[in-house]
Amino acid sequence: MRRVVITGLGLITPVGSGRQTVWQALLEGRSGIGPVTSFDTSEFPVHIGAEVKDFAPEPYVRRQPVENLGRASQMAVAAARMALDDAGLDLVSRDRRRSGVSMGTTSGEPWFVERYNDIRKAEGLEAIPGEIFPKYPSHVIPTNIAIEFDLRGPCLMIPTACAAGNYAIGYGFDLIRAGRTDVMLAGGADAFSRITYMGFARLGAIAKERCQPFDKNRKGMVPGEGAAVLVLEAAEQAAARGAKIYAEVLGYGISCDAHHMTAAHPEGEGAVRAMATALRESKRGTQDVDYISAHGTGTPTNDRVESIAVRALFGERAPRVPLSSIKSMIGHTMGAASAIEAAACALALDTGMIPPTINFEEPDPECDLDYVPNEARRTNPRVVLNNAYAFGGNNASLCLARFE
Amino acid sequence: MSARIVITGAGAISSIGAGVEEFERALYAGESGVGPSQLFGDSSVTAEVRNFSPQPWLGNKGIRVLDRVARLLSVAAHMALCGSGLARSEAGGSDPELGLVCGTMLGSLHSITSFDWSGLEDGPNYVNPMDFPNTVINSAAGQAAIKFKLGGVNSTICGGGAAGLYALHYAAEFLRLGRARALLAGGAEELSEESYLGFRKTGNTSPSGCPRPFDPERDGVVLGEGAVLLTLESEETARARGAKPWAEISGFGCAQDAHSTRAFDVRGEGATSAIELALESAGIGPAEVSCIIAAASGSRAGDEMEARALQNVFGARLGEIPVCAPKAALGESLGAAGAFGALLGTMALTKQCLPPTPGVRAVAPGIRLASQPQSFQGDVALVNAFSCDGNNAAMILRRWTD
Repeated sequence: MRRVVITGLGLITPVGSGRQTVWQALLEGRSGIGPVTSFDTSEFPVHIGAEVKDFAPEPYVRRQPVENLGRASQMAVAAARMALDDAGLDLVSRDRRRSGVSMGTTSGEPWFVERYNDIRKAEGLEAIPGEIFPKYPSHVIPTNIAIEFDLRGPCLMIPTACAAGNYAIGYGFDLIRAGRTDVMLAGGADAFSRITYMGFARLGAIAKERCQPFDKNRKGMVPGEGAAVLVLEAAEQAAARGAKIYAEVLGYGISCDAHHMTAAHPEGEGAVRAMATALRESKRGTQDVDYISAHGTGTPTNDRVESIAVRALFGERAPRVPLSSIKSMIGHTMGAASAIEAAACALALDTGMIPPTINFEEPDPECDLDYVPNEARRTNPRVVLNNAYAFGGNNASLCLARFE
Repeated sequence: MSARIVITGAGAISSIGAGVEEFERALYAGESGVGPSQLFGDSSVTAEVRNFSPQPWLGNKGIRVLDRVARLLSVAAHMALCGSGLARSEAGGSDPELGLVCGTMLGSLHSITSFDWSGLEDGPNYVNPMDFPNTVINSAAGQAAIKFKLGGVNSTICGGGAAGLYALHYAAEFLRLGRARALLAGGAEELSEESYLGFRKTGNTSPSGCPRPFDPERDGVVLGEGAVLLTLESEETARARGAKPWAEISGFGCAQDAHSTRAFDVRGEGATSAIELALESAGIGPAEVSCIIAAASGSRAGDEMEARALQNVFGARLGEIPVCAPKAALGESLGAAGAFGALLGTMALTKQCLPPTPGVRAVAPGIRLASQPQSFQGDVALVNAFSCDGNNAAMILRRWTD
């Protein structure tokens, strides 16, 4: 089995775009959350979101008309271009069949469903133009990346909701490790959606003012949008071309609670299994883990259950393992979330810094771990876990390490 | 990585019948599921699961929250679990070694659209929160996992019309890595007014209402639906529990055309690559292929592309290999299609006979399609799943002989 490393990072997030900008914002504890501008929220009980501001796709989408792509595809292609540039990877001389794309999402391109209904309401079904249909299916997101960069290998979407980024990175890792491909662009993308916003609002899951993961007074999550693409490469090849290596992907674990569509298992049974499997496949133990990037949405239940799960697996060592949620800053970017968080983990391994959980004011007796409150910290981590949980009881934990 | 992955059971529900036995009977009798639509009325023609009711398999408990695609998938899962002897009691906890991998193109699109529509009509404060979980693309797989306590991997794979084969390959790789004891893998797709309108509005549906794969006068696809799950496990696991393998998944290849999200690349480079990679990963040459289950749907460009790819790979010998195009009977079931093809291929290898393709008249030169069953002697089936967005997948199945 070959080793797999991360050699490029592309990020479009509510706190900015590009590796350096995003990383600086996360270490400074800046929030990308503000009033929703994508649609009118006057009828909603909540009004904040984590939108990507001032995103212009034109510099990134070059091989296709920009209007052929939905917003999630545009952000995904932009993130992919940034990641390839960051990796300094010359694809021209390569066998295109050995380069592929593996992406995750929650909603794909929901904007076209919303337009479908808007037009249906205003003018009737027959007025809906045919052109919106081919832009909708979620797999057009990786397909648009493949077209943009002429990648002829595997191309698939794993839409496992809010854990999808980890699934997609994990599968990209599998394909390289097994020798089926040499390069994978892997990550996640989701566009801000009134459907998602309405659903979480109706569940009463959205915070009114800010996102406070693990704080005693946390009031909920904040829906967001964004994209992250990681260049995954066979380690040998990356080393041979003298590439900058951010981190190594050691392994991942996925599980299903098979318990409830929206509620986590009360003891975090599946979450424990996902972390344990990730460590086992990575040939690491809990004692090796220096940092956990939490799913940490900011809802009362998620953060409690995730803390319970970490405590259950890590035992007495749990409070000594720093665990933070960058969702406190970038909101919950859905299918992009764990991909953005995986990029943050790679940067933590590369720079030695771990990002904070901001808005952390009052500890919760039910959440008794070290959440890296409010200030970034230098800990020089060597092995990190990236947790992600989703509707359907889907759990995925990814294990990354400093490349040595 | 050398573990051999075998198919030891299946569940299927389609326009030509429910259950693997009925699927096989109808296929070999040359029956077609194409006909007037109950869902859309007027003069609509589809290959839909008519008079679909999940109760005979799922009972009444908990089915209200399942949308159509989740019901189809759950019925297939029930059949596959029971047929494979893997069904679990109601009482026990979830099984962390048993999982589900579902290929689909549109997933719960109708639930997603309806939820948004309800928000527009009634206001965001009046949508039913119970409907929200069905607005994720992978809700069918999540619902089925809860229903059958599948605690292992639960993945949904989207790759257009290639998704069903992608899902089978994904599951096979997981099993090779020892990440599960057994996996249900395949595809599910529901017909919805949204998908129906979309295919009509983009000029992809057949005006004549008759899908004619490879026919020079073909005029488009007829949309279909259904769900099919194959039970996959390693040869060792199957042997240990006394399950008899039906066939082996021995090769897979996929390739993107990187050409367009909405038009087949008639040059067929990706399709050719996919087949070549599948053969290569199975360790065989084209001469060893004994039958072909085509992706051809009646699409003008799609069938032209597939014919070219088959010519590229098999050359003059193509005319000697029996071919079946199941979409003539099942319609274009998108993310489920490749998995239906794999089930059909498994049956064909066992029976040493390919089912007929209903309604065959003229065909493209050199493609041995027939309206009668075609007997053959051989151990290897090629299954194609090609999609108009440039996603091409091909799978090699091998007859199981102890």
